[in-house]
Amino acid sequence: MSTTERPTRSVWPQLEPLLSQVQRPARYVGGEDNAVVTDHADADSAWLLLYPDTYEVGQPNQGVQILYEVLNERESTVAERAFTPWHDLDALLRAHGVPLFSLEQHLPARAFDVLAFSVATELGATNLLSCLDLAGVPLRADQRDDDDPVVLIGGHVAFNPEPLAPFADVVAPGDGEEFVLEVDRVITRWRRAREAGQPWPRAELLAALARVEGAYVPGLYVPRYGPEPATGGMAPLRETAPIRNGLPTAIPKRTVSDLDDWPYPKHTLVPLTETVHERYSVEIFRGCTRGCRFCQAGMITRPVRERSKETITEMVEHGLATTGFEEVGLLSLSSSDHSEIQELATDLVKRYEGTATSLSLPSTRVDAFNVELADELAREGRRTGLTFAPEGGTDRMRAVINKMVAEEDLLRTAETAFAGGWRQLKLYFMIGLPTETDEDVLGVADLGRKVVEIGRRYGKKNRVTLSVGGFVPKPHTPFQWAAQDPPEELRRKVGLLKQRVAGERNLKLSYADPEPGVVEGLLARGDRRVAEVIQRAYELGARFDGWSECFSLERWQQAIDEVGLDRDWYVTRERGRDEVLPWDHIDAGLDPHWLWEDWQDAQRGRALEDCRWMPCYDCGVCIGLDLEHQTGHLPDGRA
Amino acid sequence: MTLDRSAVDGRLAGDVGTADRVRVRYAKTGRLRFVSAIDLSRVWERALRKAGLPIAYSEGFTPHPKVSFPDALPLGYASTGEYAELGFAEPITIGPAMRALNDAFAGGCEVLDARGVLPGERRLSKWLGRALWCLSYPPEADRAALTAAAEAVLAADRWPVPRERKGEVTEVDLRAPLVDLAVSDEDAPRVAALLDASEPPLRPTEVHAGLAAALSTTTAPHTDHSAAAGSTLPKPRLISRTAQGAPADGGLREALSGEHLAVTAAFDATREELRLDRRDPTGA
Repeated sequence: MSTTERPTRSVWPQLEPLLSQVQRPARYVGGEDNAVVTDHADADSAWLLLYPDTYEVGQPNQGVQILYEVLNERESTVAERAFTPWHDLDALLRAHGVPLFSLEQHLPARAFDVLAFSVATELGATNLLSCLDLAGVPLRADQRDDDDPVVLIGGHVAFNPEPLAPFADVVAPGDGEEFVLEVDRVITRWRRAREAGQPWPRAELLAALARVEGAYVPGLYVPRYGPEPATGGMAPLRETAPIRNGLPTAIPKRTVSDLDDWPYPKHTLVPLTETVHERYSVEIFRGCTRGCRFCQAGMITRPVRERSKETITEMVEHGLATTGFEEVGLLSLSSSDHSEIQELATDLVKRYEGTATSLSLPSTRVDAFNVELADELAREGRRTGLTFAPEGGTDRMRAVINKMVAEEDLLRTAETAFAGGWRQLKLYFMIGLPTETDEDVLGVADLGRKVVEIGRRYGKKNRVTLSVGGFVPKPHTPFQWAAQDPPEELRRKVGLLKQRVAGERNLKLSYADPEPGVVEGLLARGDRRVAEVIQRAYELGARFDGWSECFSLERWQQAIDEVGLDRDWYVTRERGRDEVLPWDHIDAGLDPHWLWEDWQDAQRGRALEDCRWMPCYDCGVCIGLDLEHQTGHLPDGRA
Repeated sequence: MTLDRSAVDGRLAGDVGTADRVRVRYAKTGRLRFVSAIDLSRVWERALRKAGLPIAYSEGFTPHPKVSFPDALPLGYASTGEYAELGFAEPITIGPAMRALNDAFAGGCEVLDARGVLPGERRLSKWLGRALWCLSYPPEADRAALTAAAEAVLAADRWPVPRERKGEVTEVDLRAPLVDLAVSDEDAPRVAALLDASEPPLRPTEVHAGLAAALSTTTAPHTDHSAAAGSTLPKPRLISRTAQGAPADGGLREALSGEHLAVTAAFDATREELRLDRRDPTGA
């Protein structure tokens, strides 16, 4: 199908009669406050921003909201949104031949030049395929025609794009603000040529896109494998190399250097139906130097870039005025680490006193300072629950993962919280961590028992919840070489925990099903061969794999078997130092030697200080990006 | 009563005074039809905050804004006859406040009329005993046959229609809560229905089912009473509630204005609303 015309008719007349047959139709109607509706006839480029999950999950995503505004602020650019239709509408769209549509104007996805996916989690892969399929765009990049839309993939999965590589025209690791504007210029030229009747061949378009810094065009890179080992397992990866000269051998992630230059979101969309987060959110900093060895987000978003208190205050004021939201979220990977957090929190609380506006501070460290902060934020409201993430059950385990909090500090924090009137503590842990012993696992339960005992001294009804998840090793972290526990082993460990907390009053254990972790692990560290499994699983009906009621390991196992991959080789195998990793050509700025040394330190139980106030340990990010941490904290204790 | 924008502004600009308890009549149209009653209350709360109006909050650990909706419109229906009561922390000047509120709504929700609550006045829900509905049919619907069907239903003492609840089909009498019916003289005919509140309430889709059954018997007397139902009468394109009020003289006394409305008033109210609903942003 080679036409230069984009469809311009709204699918609303076909969609509307279907809406009475589906759950929560408000997901599909658009029309929210702060939605941007621009006539496509006046535009030089049109982007459809997609989040491969339901509206309720995807709409609050900060990245999508930011890019939506950045693109729409450009006068000649249109950006609209789409999400994965739930099973009921999915079936109806297919049955009635209605394509995937944008929420703003209900235009078919093919009316857009770019389909830009933000993929935050590996388990969104099949939803991405479902969106492409419903859009009427060939699933595989090499089957797309000259005027098919460009399929762009960003978000955290872009840091190991190989399992999605055959489906993507372009992958964009890192910050999107500047990147999308540069891509937009290429798209505008491509569209002009098309409209002038001189369409670029697809190869020319991809070559032009590959010249944008930080753009990885998988079709221009080829993975090469060694011979299959006689001992079984998969043929090892030798390299992922460009197919011709002039292409970078490694693709650098994009990094926005000053967040005060990018004060987005300014006009957050106000959903018409309930979403997972209902608030005006502002990132108070990006990046993290805590150095938790399991944490991919902390590693790939370095260095730390703080937004100034002044900018944050202005953004919050404007954000509340343009939305009517009743909650403000101060986001970051470790919010209490902002150098001005105390003043910021106090100021905001004072400013919004008596207006029924609440402040939330997700992702906080485990220490007394955070209880004080929480007290401050909850000054007017009730003190129900506080959440902390010690992640490991023993001091030894926490040294391995570099989550630096000693048990006595943790217990003191719990005491401060209960003494201050908090009634419930929720503690997050991981099991299946490298070097973990049964003693470490039982440490989770023992810690919970100690905390609940402290809680009881301050109130009979005080409660503690232990929330336990299985660890999945992620690329670009010191644990990228680690073995992942198989689900049977995780179940055994949960069994140990259950026994240890049994009969303990006011102590609740909640744990996640370990099976989705298998697929998460396969996709997180998989290579390009894994793409076939994703496609097969999709064909077998896999959708919404992040939803426990939809996930089926049997279905994925069938796909793995049919494609003929060795699941354990990908998931539960420890990697060696010299192994070529599928994401080696994606440059997150981290020095691989440093990562390896940190992995060795981990296995010896040696922790590492935060470089914001301790000397630099040469992870490579700042030098590589010619940036420094931008924070009010001074290193070497020179505060 | 029409939904002309200048008339709305005129009404709100009128001498409606100040009050700390305000009753409003509002419209829920367009894509907002697919927003549930619970979600709609959040839309209201945010618009009130965005408009900077001093809405009052309930006491207690989780304060709730004092916005009450006496009844819920089923999902998918449009309305120009919805009502709410708002409590403010201090007296507000109603006209400007409601205009600010209308500016704060994203679209699909609009205050049409408002007035202060008088001391000792009956509760708002007591005023909503009767509702006026409008079913808009596509041009394929046979106007003459529809008119005959409406006459047949009105002439009968009982008119049973099937009702499906939780997979079980029972029968309800459409005639009991049905006060009046009218068919408009248009190419795409509209049916206006005046319905009394009943428990459980009779749905306008059941009015359609009753008309469809009547139409199949009046046009083809030998066909089975229920089997052909709906096969000759296409489904309405849009169903709207156009007003609510207290029962009065074969019509209703509108809950806010006290104006007397006969069944045919539904035809005035929905014309503008239909136009809004059909509007396609792409101009297609």
